[in-house]
Amino acid sequence: MKRSKIILSLMLSIVLAISLLAGCGGNETTTAPAADTTTTTAAPADDTDETTAAPDASGDGYAGELTLMHFSTSEESQGNGGSDGFRTVIANWETANPDIALNQTVLANDEYKTQVATLASADDLPDVFLLQGMNTKLWAEQGLIMDMTKIIEDSPHYADYNTSYFTPFTDGDKIYGLPVLTGGTCTVIVYDKAAWAEAGFEEFPKTWAEVEEANEYFTANGYTESIAFGNSGKWQMNSCFLSTLGDRFTGPEWFQSIIDKGGAAFTDEPFVKALDYTGMLFQSGVFNDDFNAINNEDAREYYISGETPAFIGGNWDVSYIGATLLETDPERYENTGFAVLPQPEGATGSENSQNIGLGYAVAINSKLADDADKLAAAIDLAYYVTGPDFASYVAENYALGGLTQVSNVDLSAFDQFTQDFYNYSYIDTAACEIYDSYVDGAVWDVLNTELQNLTNGSTDGATVAQLTQEAYEANY
Amino acid sequence: MLTRRPPLRVIIGYLMIPLALYIFAVFIPLMTAAFYSLFEWKGGPNKTFIGVANYVTLIKDKVFWLSFSHNLYLILLCVIGQVGIAFVFVMMINTRSVKLKSIHRTFGFFPSTIAAVYVGFIWTMIYDSRRGVLNWLLALIGRDDLKQVWLNNSDLVMTLVSIPLIWQYIGYYMLILLSATSSIDKEIFESAELDGANAVQRSIHIVLPMIKSTIIVCLVLCVSGNMKVFDNIFVMTSGGPGNDSMVMAMYGYKISFIQQNMGYGSAISVGIFVLGLLVIGAMQLFSNKFSKD
Repeated sequence: MKRSKIILSLMLSIVLAISLLAGCGGNETTTAPAADTTTTTAAPADDTDETTAAPDASGDGYAGELTLMHFSTSEESQGNGGSDGFRTVIANWETANPDIALNQTVLANDEYKTQVATLASADDLPDVFLLQGMNTKLWAEQGLIMDMTKIIEDSPHYADYNTSYFTPFTDGDKIYGLPVLTGGTCTVIVYDKAAWAEAGFEEFPKTWAEVEEANEYFTANGYTESIAFGNSGKWQMNSCFLSTLGDRFTGPEWFQSIIDKGGAAFTDEPFVKALDYTGMLFQSGVFNDDFNAINNEDAREYYISGETPAFIGGNWDVSYIGATLLETDPERYENTGFAVLPQPEGATGSENSQNIGLGYAVAINSKLADDADKLAAAIDLAYYVTGPDFASYVAENYALGGLTQVSNVDLSAFDQFTQDFYNYSYIDTAACEIYDSYVDGAVWDVLNTELQNLTNGSTDGATVAQLTQEAYEANY
Repeated sequence: MLTRRPPLRVIIGYLMIPLALYIFAVFIPLMTAAFYSLFEWKGGPNKTFIGVANYVTLIKDKVFWLSFSHNLYLILLCVIGQVGIAFVFVMMINTRSVKLKSIHRTFGFFPSTIAAVYVGFIWTMIYDSRRGVLNWLLALIGRDDLKQVWLNNSDLVMTLVSIPLIWQYIGYYMLILLSATSSIDKEIFESAELDGANAVQRSIHIVLPMIKSTIIVCLVLCVSGNMKVFDNIFVMTSGGPGNDSMVMAMYGYKISFIQQNMGYGSAISVGIFVLGLLVIGAMQLFSNKFSKD
């Protein structure tokens, strides 16, 4: 009796130990914070070489599980056309492929970036996931993502693709993903046309000197400042300001040279000037004084509440502002306009540029090369979620564009706010690159951190440029 | 009912469970990190062996040492704030004039039960320059000149992110110290009172020496806890402005996951472990000396 108790105790101990160790095994269930996640199962077996062949792009031959990880949560999709469209086409694809169990892990964007980087480090990426441009070269070198060049060329929708969107996902002559979601601007000035007209500007000022002039009027007439901005997350100053302002000073060739390691450096004079100008602007009182202590979600509330007559952010902020104002303040919604950044003094680049692109692409785990049927299903999914069904959905419902171009978008069905933003994004402005869609996260992390110091006035452009250049040389 | 001592192998069998847990949760990750720290590893399957190069970088890394100095500052504030204030509260609760002692204990402990992320959000709202309670109070008392963007003040930000930590854990240390003081014989206090000792004298000359060992435990818990602080600061400032509120654990996270430099991130985590041991060791030496005195 006692002996059996001892054996039982030992067995229970072993079971406990095994169950603990099993917890860190390959197959794990992930719960999504702030999201509507189901479960995910880890990627399949052996590591293999990249594929260049494009099997039949149809999910029909495969019956089984396919894992997908993305960040279009149900919360995100409220008012965000790209997310809504993405969720819609995924649901359509699932319905059309009943034999395939599509296990999705859906995380909020910040959590997604951390989690997918962790899975990449562990060589445990899902079958299909969204690849950020700046990770392309590194993950391609590591053999984590499939070379999709041939797959893309063989796409039935290839003729309709806007091929300029592929550049962030390109390494040499190889392409590693199908750009996904909607092509959205990362830098737009959202402004109250009525308020600026009262200040003497029928349209948004073309120079920063005029903005400062308007600022005197606004601060004397009940506003705290002229433009709201939020940078506590540190990335906003880079993505939603410097990326465009830098282009005004350096022109596009400089950044292309940075991407290609063609000799340009962050310490080059035009870029240092852009940094110094950014620092000067954020010290001038034109912006809210708490710009480094609040994020973009807080800053856009300053515009929505009427505290500030303008706001700088990205397309994701415009979706939110539009949806909120439509409900709470229709008059302000009608009066909202969009403008590019004013031209800095001494800048010689395009006066009309704004950084726009597709920040993410559908990528496929290189391990799928081993399983032709599963790979075919993954390719079919990638084609579908970036194809004409998605493009038509976002064009018809939100006046947005994706990778696949849709001709004859009828804007007449949309209100002025939506039409104006469509024209701002795709028609009336010149596109420039989004810095952090390229290069390396380590470089941007250093720059973003130093940008807070720069805009607080505790460092200068030359020092920021030097530290960024050091990170560039060490990591890229 | 146990009639005799269980055989040795049964005792060893049961003891193996916590040992296995410790090996699994502490020892293996530490060894793994030490191993990875010898590689240039940007994530994924490819690693390049570089010997101790990551440690050479670590020694020269100004941000890491700045973060370490922030941790030390945080520890200093928290030792005074958490353990010190908890001791004062315990003394106050133990006085006869305080009623509803159990309510004080419960409410005092309440903040410790809140997740650090929520604590971070609550205090971010308090510090908010436009809608925060702090600036509102300053305006109320006519000190508009003191109003500012608190979390963007490089000189104050470390103190400001420490306050939520202090607020959160006072109750935790209060409970530990309360249980220690409850074991002190009441007659000692009564005779001291008869001899004319006031409350402060009783606290310093009777309570403090009698709960010395508990206070040392509290200090070790406080120091070790604050060496790995992360979550509420991450929520409040992400280490900013710049690196002015960066702490070691957050820096390790940034390097590993934002910069995707897993090899160097592992070296940082080993560095945190070594520095943690050194700080706690120094504190033990100090407390041993204090005990002897």
